Amino acid sequence: MPRAILSRPRLLETLGREVTDDQLRDLLWPTKAEFGESGDGTVTVECTADRLDLLCESGLGLALAPHLGGAHGGVAMRGGNWTGPPLVIEVDESVAAVRPAIAGVVVQAPEGHSLTAGLLDEAIRFQELLHATYGANRTRSSLGIYPTERFGFPVRYSLRPIDEVVFVPLEGTEATGGRQFLATHPLALRYGGLGVVGEQMLCLSDPQGLLLSAPPILNSRDAGEARPGDQSLLLESTGTNAARVRESVGLLSLVFVAHGWTLTPVEIRGEGPADDGLALTTPRRIELPLTVLDGLSGRTYTVPEGEHLLGQCRLNAHPVPGGFLVDVPPWRPDLLTAVDVAEDVILARGVRPEDGVVPPSATRGRRRAETVFRRQVAELVLGLGHSELYTPMLVGRDLDQLLAPSGAIEVANPVSDLFSHVRNRLLPSLLTSLSHNVRHAYPQRTFEVGPVVVADSGSETGGTTRYRAGILVAGEGAGFADGAALLDYLTGTFAAVGVREPVEIPGTIRGRAARLRLAGEAIGEVAEVHPAVLSALKVPVPAVWAELDLTALWPLVRRSDAD
Amino acid sequence: MPPEPEEPDEPAAPLEVSLGAPERSVLSALRSAGGLAIEEEAIPGRTGLPLEAVRGALQRLRSKGLAVVEEEHREEVRLSPRGEAALSRGLPERRLLQMLLRKAGPMTPEEIEVEGLHAEERSAAIGLLRRRGFLGDGVPFQLKPGHPDPTNRFPEEAALGTIGDEPASLDVAALKDLRRRGLVDVDHRSTKRWQPSEEGRHAVLDDDSTLLGTVTPSMLRDGTWKGAAFRPYDVRATVPYVAGARPHRYSAWLREFEEILLGLGFEQAEGPLLETEFWNNDVLFMPQQHPARSIHDVLSVVGLEGKLPAPELLERVAAVHEGRPIPGDATAITPGWRATYDRAVAKRLVLRSQTTAVSARYLAAHPKPPFRMFSLDRNFRVEAVDATHSIDFAQCEGVLGGEGTSLRDLVGVFQALADAIGIRELRIRPSYFPFTEPSVEGYVKHPRLGWIEVFPGGMLRPEVLRPLGIDVPVAAWGIGVMRLAMVSLGVSDIRDLFRDDLDQLTGGAR
Repeated sequence: MPRAILSRPRLLETLGREVTDDQLRDLLWPTKAEFGESGDGTVTVECTADRLDLLCESGLGLALAPHLGGAHGGVAMRGGNWTGPPLVIEVDESVAAVRPAIAGVVVQAPEGHSLTAGLLDEAIRFQELLHATYGANRTRSSLGIYPTERFGFPVRYSLRPIDEVVFVPLEGTEATGGRQFLATHPLALRYGGLGVVGEQMLCLSDPQGLLLSAPPILNSRDAGEARPGDQSLLLESTGTNAARVRESVGLLSLVFVAHGWTLTPVEIRGEGPADDGLALTTPRRIELPLTVLDGLSGRTYTVPEGEHLLGQCRLNAHPVPGGFLVDVPPWRPDLLTAVDVAEDVILARGVRPEDGVVPPSATRGRRRAETVFRRQVAELVLGLGHSELYTPMLVGRDLDQLLAPSGAIEVANPVSDLFSHVRNRLLPSLLTSLSHNVRHAYPQRTFEVGPVVVADSGSETGGTTRYRAGILVAGEGAGFADGAALLDYLTGTFAAVGVREPVEIPGTIRGRAARLRLAGEAIGEVAEVHPAVLSALKVPVPAVWAELDLTALWPLVRRSDAD
Repeated sequence: MPPEPEEPDEPAAPLEVSLGAPERSVLSALRSAGGLAIEEEAIPGRTGLPLEAVRGALQRLRSKGLAVVEEEHREEVRLSPRGEAALSRGLPERRLLQMLLRKAGPMTPEEIEVEGLHAEERSAAIGLLRRRGFLGDGVPFQLKPGHPDPTNRFPEEAALGTIGDEPASLDVAALKDLRRRGLVDVDHRSTKRWQPSEEGRHAVLDDDSTLLGTVTPSMLRDGTWKGAAFRPYDVRATVPYVAGARPHRYSAWLREFEEILLGLGFEQAEGPLLETEFWNNDVLFMPQQHPARSIHDVLSVVGLEGKLPAPELLERVAAVHEGRPIPGDATAITPGWRATYDRAVAKRLVLRSQTTAVSARYLAAHPKPPFRMFSLDRNFRVEAVDATHSIDFAQCEGVLGGEGTSLRDLVGVFQALADAIGIRELRIRPSYFPFTEPSVEGYVKHPRLGWIEVFPGGMLRPEVLRPLGIDVPVAAWGIGVMRLAMVSLGVSDIRDLFRDDLDQLTGGAR
């Protein structure tokens, strides 16, 4: 789950009261956020991926306020009184190839207020969190915060020759050329590739050519550094995904709107259709019919109750016949349709175990007949004195190489070489267990009935999942005949008589390996494990392995009334 | 008065014992060693008997109280090739710590790999640094504020440098960890030295050549047993260990859990373990750019390609992703993900990461309500393996649907399942899954791990149901059945569920 380290003093300031860790843990329990731990002046909070608005102090404060006797209902989205030149971001056509999606909004402090250090710190923390999560490390969207008092509109996105770009990077003291900046600044080394095309780099500039930033890397100090005391800020985002870009600006605006700042739309003018920016300053409306709420929850909600609970979710609700029209602010991109809003209401009321009803069954529970068959085979092998195993399906590279060419499907991004291949036989799993038990007395008799995946280019999924019964006997005197006899016994139990044919199986002794066929189908394999394999696994005794392909055998032995 | 001194005991009369020829021969050899213990491997040279026969005779002499054994066990610890590499380059956790300190900021898995720590080392290093309080959860990886002093040596580093020293000087806990990580190999050696017991030194060895030993078929055929006496056995002697065959306790638990679901009227279903992204994610309305679909979360495979589903279904799913009306509908049911649906992504293959894919396949194949299906099967995710996370994990997936099905039914199922396996404490809290709304999570209390999440579920979204042609509400869940098994079986480490130690599987050690 995404997590954020929040400022405890800032959180308490937004909550308006002191809370202990335990109280915070309890307060967060019915929300999608979760208390992690307390540090020196910090609180770590995790939340589900859909509610990133809870990972800033202001968002968390808004959500918890109703539970602490504080504010209730939707947060007012007030329009600003911008008096300067039209708020426009012009987008040069060259930008489409690198960061095609752009959105912005201007936030203004309420009368008599300005940007505080605490609010700025929170905004920057949240900005970085959104970069890492929503923005997929700035690839899909990256955010900028700019003081409108230090540049003019319209601002313009364009690609400029790297050698022509000169600016003082944020927190820097000296002017730096674009090339040097890209080659030396730590953030440029990390994100530079996202805003550079050949010999050009992405720039956001004002009409006087003043550079606000080199997105998505860093702002300039001159025009791009927001400071305490500022009264008006441009929140802006660029990226590759239009929805993410717009929603990330909406999320960041929450930090300011929660403190009474106003919102003024910023128009985007570029190659594509013009965007008036109103989506970031006007709530969306979603209709929530009571039938949806009642149907999902299994109980009946009244209009006053629904309205109260929506207010508790910090949403404004307008009762209409049969339900509500709900205003959805831009920091709630998780609310797509009526079911999303209904979830908020249902969770606000609380879901308790005692609310549950065990639904009467109109169906008869049953196992798949093939599963029952697999279990029958397992019981038979148990009856022969073999211990049952339950092993991981992913096997290690070393073992796969011992059995090469195994034909096992290779994992493209294995967590480690110990889990590099998907088994296509149970043999490697049985051998792994054998190697784990070299200190146990012999003979050892083990088995597993479980799934394997066999590559199959004709299949919809590139491979087929097959269930097999793998059996291993290890001990002095264990040989081919023991394994073959086991297969004969198992197939014979189902009135099937297979025919063995010689075969070569990697990892086994040539001339002591057989495939079992029934009605033309390969239904099993049996072989003595090769001493080279046993030696590599430090197994001091011979071993014989037998494996039945239950997926192949089942259609041949099933009763006609099964399934 | 002081007590009279006791008379010394009469020396015991030499015991008359009846021994087979190998036992007599071995006991004679032990007696001839002049009171010194003889190594077991040296006895064949003194008796002319094969080692196996000597061993059998020694065990019988021991069970009769005529021979005693001293057994010396020792472990020889040596660096494995991997351990030698770690000794020269540093342990992976030290190297990762140094990288993070150098970077002074978060690092992605790719950056760490570029810096020279491959996936296997990285996984172990991350887990260790987290346990030691250097790293928080989540990706990218970042040092926690207030982490311990990084200049202190880790116990394993100290231990690694002492391999080859006297065993007594090794840190046992650190050594155990090094061994688990494959950095050291341990060879177990034991030496048995035998000598006669006091009785064995003085026993009179009868010539029992006239006594019969094992009953043989030829003896029965020719009647030579008639009129002869059988050599008596020491019926109190230790007998061979019989290893019982038992079902694996985790798979047995899974079957019991299945029984509970069958009892609740659920029908079993299965699906492929290698799955297309269409069924694993798209049909479940998971955005194609959802972070949980990345290579950091889902395992993909080399060299294979899947196929797209039926065109009609594909088009319906594409429509909800793009926020368009489903073909045949006048209006869109959702704004969708406001991104172009990529069919090339849909046919990519992954190891199934959630059994919800089985539910989707089931619903697509059986669109007529009511639904009451479960699937208890394996899934795979990219996880750093630890006490509560496994790459290969089982989920119990289920759907319950029909007219009037609601969240209360889902909670009722959770409650019924918890009750059935003896869990008394259940709590429900909000959660999030892209394919359900509302989404909840049931937590149960583990005696050691505290509240752990095991019952995730919710009501399937219209964006999932409508493309499948379903118009009734459907509740769905994907229970973390391994965690539930841990609670039920009293296991604190998820890896113990895969335990293959035959000593335990057969019910005891020999």
